[in-house]
Amino acid sequence: MDVAVLFSVFVAGLALGIPVAVTLGLASLAYLFLAGIPPVVMPQKMYAGMDVFVLLSIPGFILAGNLMNRGGITHRIIRFANALVGWIRGGLGLTNIAASMLFGGITGTAVADAASIGGVLIPGMKKAGYPADFSAAVTAASSTVGPIIPPSVPMIIVGALSGISVGRMFLAGAVPGILMGLAMMVTCYIISVRKGFPRQPWQGWAEVVQAFGGAVWAIAMTFLIIYGLLSGLATPTETAVIASVYAFVVGAFVYRELPIRAVPGIVVDSATSAAGILALVGFANVFGWILVSEHIPQAIADRVLSLTDNKFLVILLINLLLLFVGMFMETIAALIILFVPLLALAQAVGIDPLHFATFAVLNLMIGLTTPPVGVCLFVCAGIARLPLTPVVIAILPFLLTNVIVLVLVSYIPQIATWLPSVVMP
Amino acid sequence: MRHVRRVTMLLIAVARLGAGLSFAVLCAAVLIQVAGRTLGVSPVWTEELTRFALLYLIAFGAGLALRSGDLVNVDVIVAALPVRAAWLFRLIAAGATAGLALYLLPHAWRFVAIGAMQRAPALGLRMDFAHVTVWLMLALLALFAALRVVGMLSGAEDGTPDARAED
Repeated sequence: MDVAVLFSVFVAGLALGIPVAVTLGLASLAYLFLAGIPPVVMPQKMYAGMDVFVLLSIPGFILAGNLMNRGGITHRIIRFANALVGWIRGGLGLTNIAASMLFGGITGTAVADAASIGGVLIPGMKKAGYPADFSAAVTAASSTVGPIIPPSVPMIIVGALSGISVGRMFLAGAVPGILMGLAMMVTCYIISVRKGFPRQPWQGWAEVVQAFGGAVWAIAMTFLIIYGLLSGLATPTETAVIASVYAFVVGAFVYRELPIRAVPGIVVDSATSAAGILALVGFANVFGWILVSEHIPQAIADRVLSLTDNKFLVILLINLLLLFVGMFMETIAALIILFVPLLALAQAVGIDPLHFATFAVLNLMIGLTTPPVGVCLFVCAGIARLPLTPVVIAILPFLLTNVIVLVLVSYIPQIATWLPSVVMP
Repeated sequence: MRHVRRVTMLLIAVARLGAGLSFAVLCAAVLIQVAGRTLGVSPVWTEELTRFALLYLIAFGAGLALRSGDLVNVDVIVAALPVRAAWLFRLIAAGATAGLALYLLPHAWRFVAIGAMQRAPALGLRMDFAHVTVWLMLALLALFAALRVVGMLSGAEDGTPDARAED
C-alpha cells in the first residue's frame, strides 16, 4: 500500500509537470507519512546523497564544456570534421556526426552538443540544400554520442551509484560511443546516396592539416581528461577543474574568443546546471533509500527471475524497460531510480556491473531522441523551426541504427569492457 | 507587481553571487590540492572544503535551477494543453514546489541542530555549517517557487523558464 502511494504520487507529479526532483520529494514524503517515519529522514538522506565524493566532478566538467563552447570551439571542430568527411556524399550530415563525436569528448551533456552544433550546422545544411527535417534529425541523433564518449555526466552518476571507478566508466563508454557514431555515419551515407544529397569538393590535405591546427587544442582536452583519470595523477574532480582552467586559457588566450567579462556569467550558469542535477540526486536519494528499504530491487529481481533466469532474455527485458522509461523520463532521474534495482537483477544473472552500466547509459541516451520526451529532439526541431512530427519521422533510421548498436553492446560485453580491462585492469 | 519583480531580481542576484562564490571556492580548493601535492605539501583540509563548497553551490543554485528550467520537469502533457490550462499546471507545479520546501524547512532545521554536535575532522568546522546547506536549498527553493506563484497570479510572469545570461 505504502509503495503504491509512493509510485502513484510520483507518476501524478510527473504528469502535472512538477519538477522531477520535487516529484521525487513529494512521493517520498507521502510514503514517510504512511509508514510513520519522521520526516527529518528526508534532509538527512538528501544531504547524504549530495555529499558524495565522485559528484564533486560534475560542476567542473560542465564548466569546462561551457567555457570551450563559448571560447570558439564549435566552428573549429565543425571545420575540421568537414575537412575530413565533407567531400563524401551527404558530407554535411557526416560532418555533423563527426563533430558530435569530437564535441562529445569536451562536453558531458547531449543537449549542449545539440544546441551548439545544431545552431551552426542546421541552418548551414538547409542552405546547402538538405531537407530541414533531415538536418534536425541527424543533429539530434548524433548529439547522443556526447555523454557516451568521455567525459560524461551520466557515467559519473553511475559511478556514484555503483562504486565503479569513473575512469573505468569513461573508458567503457569510449568504444560504444565511437561505434554508435560510425554506425550513424553509415546510415547517413546510405540515406544521402538514395536521396541524392549534395557533397562538397575535396579541399585537400592542406585544409585538413590547417583545420586540425585550429581544433587540436579542443581535441587535446579530451586526452587531458582521459590522461588525468587514467594516470592516477588526479582525481575526477581535479581533472574536471584542471580541464576548466585549460578551457579558459584556450578560449581566452589561444582562440581569443572568450571575453574575460563573460566568465563569471558562464561560471554561475554552469553552477546552476550542476545544482539542478545535484538537487535531483539529493531528492532521488530519499526515493532510492525507500526502494531499498522496501526491498524493491530484490523483489524486481525475484519476480523477473521467477519468469526466466535466461541471461539473454533478462538483458532484453532490461533494455525494453529502459527504452520505455527513457521515452518519458529525464536521464539522470531514470538512472538514479532504476540503476540500483536493475543492477541487482543484472548481477543475479551474471552480468558484469561495468557492462550493465554501459548499456544502461547508452539506452537512456537513445531516450533523448525519442518522442514524447526527447530533449534533443525538441532542441533541434526548434533550431530548424519545424514541428516535432517531421523530425520524429526523419530520425527513425538513426534511432534504428542506435538500437542496433545498443543490441550489439548489450550482447557483446567486450565492446564495453575490453578497453577498461586493458587500460585499467 | 513591481515589488515582486524587485524582490525576485534581488534574490536572483544573491543566489547567483552565492553559487558563483561557492564554485570559485571549490575550484580554488582543488587547485591548492593539486599544487600542494605537486610541491609535496599536501594540505589535509582541501577535500573537506571542496565538499562543503559543492554543498553551498547546490544550496544557492537549486533555486536558480528552478527558475532556469534546469530542475527538469516532464512537460509533455503541459505542452499539449491550451494556454490557460498549461498556465494552471505551471502554477500548480510552483505551488507544490513551494509547499514541499516549506513543509520540510523545520525538519531540515532539526537536521542542522544535529550537526552542531559533530565536527569536520580536517577543518574542525561544526557540521551544522554543512548541514545548513540543505535548509538553505529548501528555503531558496521555497522563496523562488513562492515568488513564481505570486508573479504568475499578479501577471508579472507566466511561469516558463527564464532565459540564460549566456543565451
